[in-house]
Amino acid sequence: MRSFWTVMAKEFLSFLRSWGLVAVVLYSFTLDVYIAGQGIEVKPRNVRVGYVIEGGGVLPQKILSHLHAPEFQKPKWFASQKELQKAIFNKEILVGLIFGHDFEKNIDSHKGAKLDVLLDATAASQAYITLVYLQNTLLRLENIHIPLKLKIHKLFNQNADSHMFISFAEMLSVITMIGIILTAAVFVKEKEDGTWDIMLLMPVDSRLVILAKAASQIAIVMGGILICVGFVLLGVFHVPINGSFLAFMLLSLLYAFTIAGIGLFIAAASHTIMEVAQLSVLIMMPLIFLSGAWTPIYSMHPILQKLSVISPLRYYIEGSESIFFRGTGWSDLYPYFMGVSVLGILTFWYGYRKIGRLF
Amino acid sequence: MALLEVDSVHIAYKRTIAVKEASFTADAGQIVGFIGADGAGKSSLFHAIAGVLHFRGEIRYKGYPYHSPKEAEPIKPYIGLMPQGLGLVLYPQLSVEEHLEFFANIRDIPRDKAFMKYKKKLLHMAGLAEFPDRLAKNLSGGMKQKLSLICTLIHKPKLLILDEPTTGVDPLSRQELWEILDQNRKEERSLTLFSTAYMGEAAKMDKIHLMDEGEIIAQGTAGELIKSARPYTYQATRCKECITFNGRTYSLKPLSAPHAEPTLESLFFINALKKGKIPPPVEVLPRETPIDIPEVVMEAKGLTKRFGDFVADDHIDMQLRRGEILGLLGANGAGKTTFIKMLLGLYPIDEGELYLLGRKIQSPKDRQELKRYIGYMSQNFALYKDLTIRENLFYFANMHQLPLNKASERIERLAKSLGFWDYMDSFPKDVPMGINQRFSLAAAILHEPVVLFLDEPTSGVDTIARAQFWQLLHKLKHIWGISILVTTHYMSEAQYCDRVVVLRRGKKIADASPKELERRFGTKDFEEVFLRLYEEQE
Repeated sequence: MRSFWTVMAKEFLSFLRSWGLVAVVLYSFTLDVYIAGQGIEVKPRNVRVGYVIEGGGVLPQKILSHLHAPEFQKPKWFASQKELQKAIFNKEILVGLIFGHDFEKNIDSHKGAKLDVLLDATAASQAYITLVYLQNTLLRLENIHIPLKLKIHKLFNQNADSHMFISFAEMLSVITMIGIILTAAVFVKEKEDGTWDIMLLMPVDSRLVILAKAASQIAIVMGGILICVGFVLLGVFHVPINGSFLAFMLLSLLYAFTIAGIGLFIAAASHTIMEVAQLSVLIMMPLIFLSGAWTPIYSMHPILQKLSVISPLRYYIEGSESIFFRGTGWSDLYPYFMGVSVLGILTFWYGYRKIGRLF
Repeated sequence: MALLEVDSVHIAYKRTIAVKEASFTADAGQIVGFIGADGAGKSSLFHAIAGVLHFRGEIRYKGYPYHSPKEAEPIKPYIGLMPQGLGLVLYPQLSVEEHLEFFANIRDIPRDKAFMKYKKKLLHMAGLAEFPDRLAKNLSGGMKQKLSLICTLIHKPKLLILDEPTTGVDPLSRQELWEILDQNRKEERSLTLFSTAYMGEAAKMDKIHLMDEGEIIAQGTAGELIKSARPYTYQATRCKECITFNGRTYSLKPLSAPHAEPTLESLFFINALKKGKIPPPVEVLPRETPIDIPEVVMEAKGLTKRFGDFVADDHIDMQLRRGEILGLLGANGAGKTTFIKMLLGLYPIDEGELYLLGRKIQSPKDRQELKRYIGYMSQNFALYKDLTIRENLFYFANMHQLPLNKASERIERLAKSLGFWDYMDSFPKDVPMGINQRFSLAAAILHEPVVLFLDEPTSGVDTIARAQFWQLLHKLKHIWGISILVTTHYMSEAQYCDRVVVLRRGKKIADASPKELERRFGTKDFEEVFLRLYEEQE
């Protein structure tokens, strides 16, 4: 036990003394999550609109008045369709509206007026959501009265606030990234310096040393999670906790352990910190993409859906979203706990075989 | 006017001074040597002259002065620089021929008849003419250095700067490298600056500069330098304010003892005396835990290690007896480190049998039980850089399960007797290499082992620290009665061992006491002995 605490203490000391690393970890768990939550928007924002009015009337101006801040910049007037097209081509304008000669006349005479819309589809989602926005505006103008009303119940996230989800997903990605790199680096740094050989020759079971080293990094990640949840998720984005916070911390601990296992796996395969960086990206990317963090699992290709079973992040995301938003109880969380633990044990076992033993 | 004039060049990195006010001149057709340990400032000085490092002071090439890398730009076509490190300028996936083409291309040399002839000649000189298609990664260390050298020569530089081209290279290849240089100086009349940590190469140079801690402490021919050391060199005797090593005592004050013949190394000791830097005495205190040691501490029978097709160690038999210092010698890539790693269990053994402390090693479990009897010091003094020396030692003490009060007592004893007590709260990167070396030895013997494995413990430290370290090992052997296995690529260190085993390309080519080898080849110069040993193998 004494060796375990010695190794732990040594790793903490090393971590705190490399202030660059401390800064990176702190940044990732606070500012990075904050920026992602604030910055990545699915709603249109500051969209540049241009328009051409070939006829006259007040209706076009009325429609344009619906396009206002913060979603849109003040629509810009163009003299001709050609100029507007050129502006879109040069990426000065994202959405172009062309009100034809008889626009207002046709509406008044119920002849079926036509509004031409030019969209820059390279910014697909922004352009598309703008289009939906525009359609809604026009619908309201038409004053149709159908005896049907939508009654919407928004579950788990009443304000349909995307900040919450994006900051949450970003935190999970940060945990994955920091966890893998910290653990892998802590072993490979010793390999690079040649101290790992000396470690193996100490009269201590190397399993204990590996566990202690991994545990120290897991503790750092857990600290980061606490900071991130406390200050960013709860403090800034007001994410609700509908389930047990303890369950989330336990799941996080298991996940951090699994991630440390992957870090150990990478450490076993690389000789230098550079290789760690390269391998981490190679392994982390599919891990995150297959997890459902950014794309729901059910909208993936069937083969990828099957593959996502091996991404521990998948269980962690589904588990922790259930805890936070759906308030799922302990007994229903058990598949997530299982998935994370089994993968963790496998990676640790492999890592130990590869770097932790004498022959 | 001299071809190259270096005028009080001063180079400083952030906090450390690499070169202090170095001045010298050198003429065309000369081979000018710079001898000193790692960190003496040789590489920094060379890089400044080659125009790739900022410096203070002035350098003149054929009267053209430059003070910065930018100003040095016009003379770069006349310079050939070969940086330190085996095969560092080579590309592993290119063949010998492709290398020459590549270096000719980047120097924009026209492909005329003269070039083809010169290329052929270079290949021939380097002994590479037979395999122009071999990839660089498949060349031996010596061949790599020869290829690097001819690549540097391809544009016929007038100023050839070679940074430790022979370090870690086998004696035969070293001799061939020197032959190429000799021919080049005669035919091209170029100036060669040559740095080395091997004193033995001094005799081949026209002029020598001894460097220590960034200073040129002496310059002249080998003969002149040795002559200057004579008045201060005596046969071994006891006295105050002097240094005694390897049968010689150095003193600034006249002694009653008879004079002895100095070597180039003597100058480093005399320099230390002149600067008042007498190394603190190093002692070994008796061990606390008595132990009885078997007659044969380690026995290897036909140990073999393969990496793919490459045989790193080929059926090596070796015995390490009680209270013996065994030197494992060989060039880089000869299989020394691989062998030690097999002994320690860091690499699996592919073939052969190993007995440690009378027990046959069959499973990791055997290793586990023997760990506390073995001390190991790895290459480049592996220590935790972000822990202070004190923290490092306590860390190791904890890992060895030493009780805390006993540990702190023992650490203090070791630190004081090995002379690094004043540095206990410094970080390893801030203390001299010699201190790091002794402190990592302390870490390796903290648990009072029975056998010590030291991998290149003396490379990278200055002459005096090296001398002290060898004295220390001998004291350790005598007072503790333990066995020590040391690897080194300094052939001259063979004289400090009780017995030496020489490896060449994974094969054992000698196993004898230094005395026997001296007798067999009739020379006391071990560089010479090993050259002959290698020649026998060809």
